[in-house]
Amino acid sequence: MTDSEILQLYRRGERDKAFRALVASYRERLYWHIRRMVLDHDDTDDCLQNTFVKAWQSLDRFRGDAQLFTWLYRIATNESLTFLSRQQTRGGHLELEAAGRLSTDPWFDGDQLQLALHRSIAKLPPKQKAVFNLRYFDEMPYEKIAQVLETSEGSLKASYHHAYEKVKTWMKEEMDAKY
Amino acid sequence: MNEEKDILELARQEGNAFRTPEGYFDSLEDRVMARIAAETAQTPSRRPVWSVLKPALTLAAMFALIFGMGYGVLSLTHTLGRDANVAATEYASAEEEMITPASLINYYQTEPAEEPEIDEETLINYLASELSFADLAEIYAQAN
Repeated sequence: MTDSEILQLYRRGERDKAFRALVASYRERLYWHIRRMVLDHDDTDDCLQNTFVKAWQSLDRFRGDAQLFTWLYRIATNESLTFLSRQQTRGGHLELEAAGRLSTDPWFDGDQLQLALHRSIAKLPPKQKAVFNLRYFDEMPYEKIAQVLETSEGSLKASYHHAYEKVKTWMKEEMDAKY
Repeated sequence: MNEEKDILELARQEGNAFRTPEGYFDSLEDRVMARIAAETAQTPSRRPVWSVLKPALTLAAMFALIFGMGYGVLSLTHTLGRDANVAATEYASAEEEMITPASLINYYQTEPAEEPEIDEETLINYLASELSFADLAEIYAQAN
């Protein structure tokens, strides 16, 4: 079902049906986006449910001047950033600890290269991590990332370039240390 | 440069390393809907109290404001009126204190002071300064 079909359904008063269609359309994309930000499956599940609950609560106010896709990604990104920020205020960089636990995580089956990749990404500042993930994993155009993060394309390109260089360096260091 | 970039390209080619529990996505819709239903069920107990009280409190605040303003104006008016009455009463009692029967008797029993006699020259000078020549001529004519 397309975004406009979901919205038409919602405006006709079939709210539950429209919302179920929205969840079905976006659950996987948003899950993977959040998962790469917070790493842990249970934390991802919490953030994803919060994202859909907030979408449900504010769907009445969705004006349609942005795509549902962009709007949902923005909510999901904000939920992830809020989660990471809460973790930092509770006691340090817990996402680094989560990255450290990846090797024993039952829902992660990557090799050393994947471990090095996600541990390196976890070292990035949260907002830069969002930029990197949206571009590197989702291959989202800068124009759309700018809409999601509500920032300029120019600063995004610079941010991605710096993030890319840092991740590459950290990955190389980790792989060199291993072998 | 390209060789350095390959490490990230290589990692991307390996695909997604994360997994989810079996059937996670299939059950997500129901779990989200259940959570929304639970939150919606909790919300009415909080909202109506405020939404019912809000207009009533607004109305009460407006009445209190109007009453306060009215009371203030009335109090001020009453205070000014009372001050005026007090002043009039005090003046009247002061007058009463000044004119007593004894003071009246004393006043009438007191002999009047003798009026000084006016000699002819003083009278002529007074008339000359106060009256015109025509008036004096008329008085003279009437006297003769």
